[in-house]
Amino acid sequence: MFMKSLRSLFALLVIPLVLSMGLGLSASAMAADGQTNQQQVATNDVDLWRAVKAGDSGYTTAKGVETGVLINVVGNEGKDVRNEYLVPVMGITVVGVFAAFLFFYLVNGPSKLSKGFSGKMVLRWSKADLWIHWVLATSCLALIFTGLNIMLGKYILQPYIGEGLWAGLIYGSKTIHDWIGPVFIVSWILCVVKWMPLQTFKMYDLKWFLVVGGYVNFGPFKGKHPDSGFANAGEKMWFWTLTIFGLFIAASGLMLVLPGLDLPREASMAALLIHGISAIIIIAFTIVHVWMATVLSEGGMECMVSGYCDENWAVQHHNLWYDELKDSNGIVYKD
Amino acid sequence: MANMKFLCDTKRCIECNGCVTACKNANASAIGWGIQRRRVVTLNDGEPGEASISVACMHCTDAPCMAVCPADCFYRTDEGIVLHNKETCIGCGYCLYACPFGAPQFPKKNAFGSRGKMDKCTFCAGGPAPDFSEEERKLYGANRIAEGKLPLCAELCATKSLLAGDALVISNIFRERSAARGAPEALWGYKPTTG
Repeated sequence: MFMKSLRSLFALLVIPLVLSMGLGLSASAMAADGQTNQQQVATNDVDLWRAVKAGDSGYTTAKGVETGVLINVVGNEGKDVRNEYLVPVMGITVVGVFAAFLFFYLVNGPSKLSKGFSGKMVLRWSKADLWIHWVLATSCLALIFTGLNIMLGKYILQPYIGEGLWAGLIYGSKTIHDWIGPVFIVSWILCVVKWMPLQTFKMYDLKWFLVVGGYVNFGPFKGKHPDSGFANAGEKMWFWTLTIFGLFIAASGLMLVLPGLDLPREASMAALLIHGISAIIIIAFTIVHVWMATVLSEGGMECMVSGYCDENWAVQHHNLWYDELKDSNGIVYKD
Repeated sequence: MANMKFLCDTKRCIECNGCVTACKNANASAIGWGIQRRRVVTLNDGEPGEASISVACMHCTDAPCMAVCPADCFYRTDEGIVLHNKETCIGCGYCLYACPFGAPQFPKKNAFGSRGKMDKCTFCAGGPAPDFSEEERKLYGANRIAEGKLPLCAELCATKSLLAGDALVISNIFRERSAARGAPEALWGYKPTTG
């Protein structure tokens, strides 16, 4: 008799507890707005702890951000998104995009100049443009390599090297990442402002996409040279991607690197995720950009080395720009 | 092997902040200016149903800080205590974002107020440096666990509200207390009037 009543008491105690925990989990998101008002006095322990779990704030003498909040699960959920999605996606992106272009290069080969080099060099970029490009490129690459170590180093590097070396590497990565960031932001602003007029989309850019830019050396796309102005459609896409995600990555980066902003954890974790997503996209485009410039487009690299391009290269890859220059007698040849 | 936890009995906590002071005192060699590893939060302050709770690092079994740390500086001791290596910590702040309890603290002493090495409750178990070494004392503070003692916050708690120790032991203590004093509102309609 006694045991039986104990058992029913247990059932009465445990069942509501389990139910309330289940409800608490599903309702925790909704409860965040409902439970924060101080007027609603929670005399019931269950209500009290449900509110605490939903992020209710109390009084504390501790100074700082959100010190009155006992539990805030948002950051932990963000951690799950970062570890389960962003980390693997970033790894796959780096390896995958690089491998895809290596495969394309091996199968397709570079896009050669159909008439060979003319030897006549046409001015394409000013000295200021070269400086902006290379400062941006160097800072961006430094940020990518240090960022990759911060994101993936724990999994692909740390288990295989000594503790002291790892500590030095990861601390160096973080410090370089912090201090190169501002250099990237300044050169990114200059790049966006100075080059934006050249990057507006035109109708002929659609046709560029239809023939994959004329880089395919086999099948129906072979030998096609789509129209393009100063920048081709692919370059424009890269420019606008860097513009938009550069803005995201710069803003979120500043939020992360300046603790003096005293941001709540939700904002910091959101910044961390936005920073990661933007980085994945920029890294993917950077790999494509480097492949295109160095090996896939014959004569393309020269533009950013001397600022001049071969006349035949200009005619083949940027015909509308070349025609426009020619019509206005604006061509400047290298001495 | 023990699984060390903190447990704060809200029916006993009187918000005296003695645990905060005890912690700062025990670990004074490591805790910088403006940092407190433990804090007391009072819910429904001054209203019926007021409850105070002392909170610090909860030494989670599935610690989010450990999972998110890009430097991989956290580790768990055999006693289930979550500790970190300040030599490896890079002060990125990710653990602070991920921790549900706001336990990680950062000294602001670098350029532009950027974060120094993270500091948090060590369960008075020091750190990876050799036990009782000067390095451990300076970086992590007390190592009372190695002395066979419990964290000073719990040891000094005047009302024995803050309990520290093996999860099984302290939850048994709490269960005995609950059984002895009753738990009004734990059952529907069970509302005994006391006093």
